[in-house]
Amino acid sequence: MLAIDAAAHSSPWRRVHPAVKGTLFGGLLACALVLPVWPGAALSALAALAVGFGPARVPPRAFARAAWVPLLFVLTGAVTMLVSVGGPDAVLAWAPDGWRRAAEVAGRAAAALCCQLMFAFSTPLADLLPRLARLGLPTALVETVALTYRMLFVLLDTARRIRTAQAGRLGYQTRAAWVRSLGVLGAAVFVRSFERARRMRRGLECRGYEGELTVLVDTPPVRPAALLAAALPPLSVAAAALHPGMWP
Amino acid sequence: MTTIHEVLESWSHNMHIAEGFLPPVHAVAWTVAAAPFVLHGARSVTLAVRADPDAKLLLGASGAFCFVLSALKIPSVTGSCSHPTGAGLGAILFRPPVMAALGTVTLLFQALLLAHGGLTTLGANVFSMAVVGPWVGYGGYRLVRRLTARLPETTALGFAVFAGAALASLSTYSVTSLQLALAFPDAGSGVLGAFAKFGAIFSITQIPLAVIEGLVTVVIVRLLSTVARDELLRLAVLRSAAGGSAAPAGGRAV
Repeated sequence: MLAIDAAAHSSPWRRVHPAVKGTLFGGLLACALVLPVWPGAALSALAALAVGFGPARVPPRAFARAAWVPLLFVLTGAVTMLVSVGGPDAVLAWAPDGWRRAAEVAGRAAAALCCQLMFAFSTPLADLLPRLARLGLPTALVETVALTYRMLFVLLDTARRIRTAQAGRLGYQTRAAWVRSLGVLGAAVFVRSFERARRMRRGLECRGYEGELTVLVDTPPVRPAALLAAALPPLSVAAAALHPGMWP
Repeated sequence: MTTIHEVLESWSHNMHIAEGFLPPVHAVAWTVAAAPFVLHGARSVTLAVRADPDAKLLLGASGAFCFVLSALKIPSVTGSCSHPTGAGLGAILFRPPVMAALGTVTLLFQALLLAHGGLTTLGANVFSMAVVGPWVGYGGYRLVRRLTARLPETTALGFAVFAGAALASLSTYSVTSLQLALAFPDAGSGVLGAFAKFGAIFSITQIPLAVIEGLVTVVIVRLLSTVARDELLRLAVLRSAAGGSAAPAGGRAV
């Protein structure tokens, strides 16, 4: 399994309704994007981290491992705002007020990333997919998406095994060998994915498959009190950020 | 300590625009721009499934294949590794309309399972990776296929697949650079200067990566034309023995 999904499945908030978690982390995400970066984004990030590492017990190491690549993207992108190109005096020069702009973008994106990751670390994708149909998406499409989700872990495992076998035969020693091995790996995954789909169809037909993949979905009721409690942190952040004279 | 390799790698193997990086107005605008393509793709998928319930399983497998393809590691110029976009191969195998739907699903899964890309930036990432990349790649593939119609099938297919995969990869990164430039124009030279800045960072890694992705895709399709000939004929990637052209099967994936 992938680290984020594995952590989500073992999260103590696994049984909390996705709408409640969506209200909490989605609300904080909206605060991070819409409110002034100081203190709005900072408070949103703090609230998301406090809730995530506190009651939701998101593993900090897995969180850091998932966050570093997008954070590097954010930082690299922000660094480009420090310089200006093609000015009248020099081809490359420090951008006026560039550091402020870079800090604002990086701060906002880092806060938003915290909210997104905390939601992902506490909500398995398997809990979200069946609810897509309730949003009005066609059942056929939702079932195709759910099938993709169910198949991708097996295929990822297949790809990992093939790659290990190839590496054991020195298949990744040179760049040319890497390209060849990767081509073989891609082709093998394609063939196996289609073969697996065919075998699944045969298995389903033996069980009376007529085109509908009905599965039982655990549907805990959405309690209004829980929704209200989830909305409190974003509302508090918004109120605190918009309160004039409270912050330096 | 983070090295320059790691910084370049973070841009090359995670070209998805991160959560919260785009201003809300831009995020909404790119979502609106991508929506018609995604809706058209979703309609193609729904119609294919309604016409043939078995297609659902094959489309699910295709979606999973697209996700795994984007998770493969290819050697990067910085000495580390990167990931292919898979947009070119996906468009050649399944056609751009279906790729818009499958690509959206892949990007949603990447955002929630790998933290590659965000939910508010999903529209922008879909536009570059699931709309422009597949369409440009497929256009390049079809053009080269037509230009090399007199060449032997294997050679013509190789040239066309290379062009399709490399162009899809390059166009994806060009559009991402443009999206970032529009959101953060340069203080002195505006959008054009910002496009040059973001493009310069990407080009260090992305031009060689596009070539490598093209080569890898050629190897994949060549192997498939041997071991999965029936599938490629059904997907209209290979010309039939009767001399039929590689005409799209009405946007259907399977």
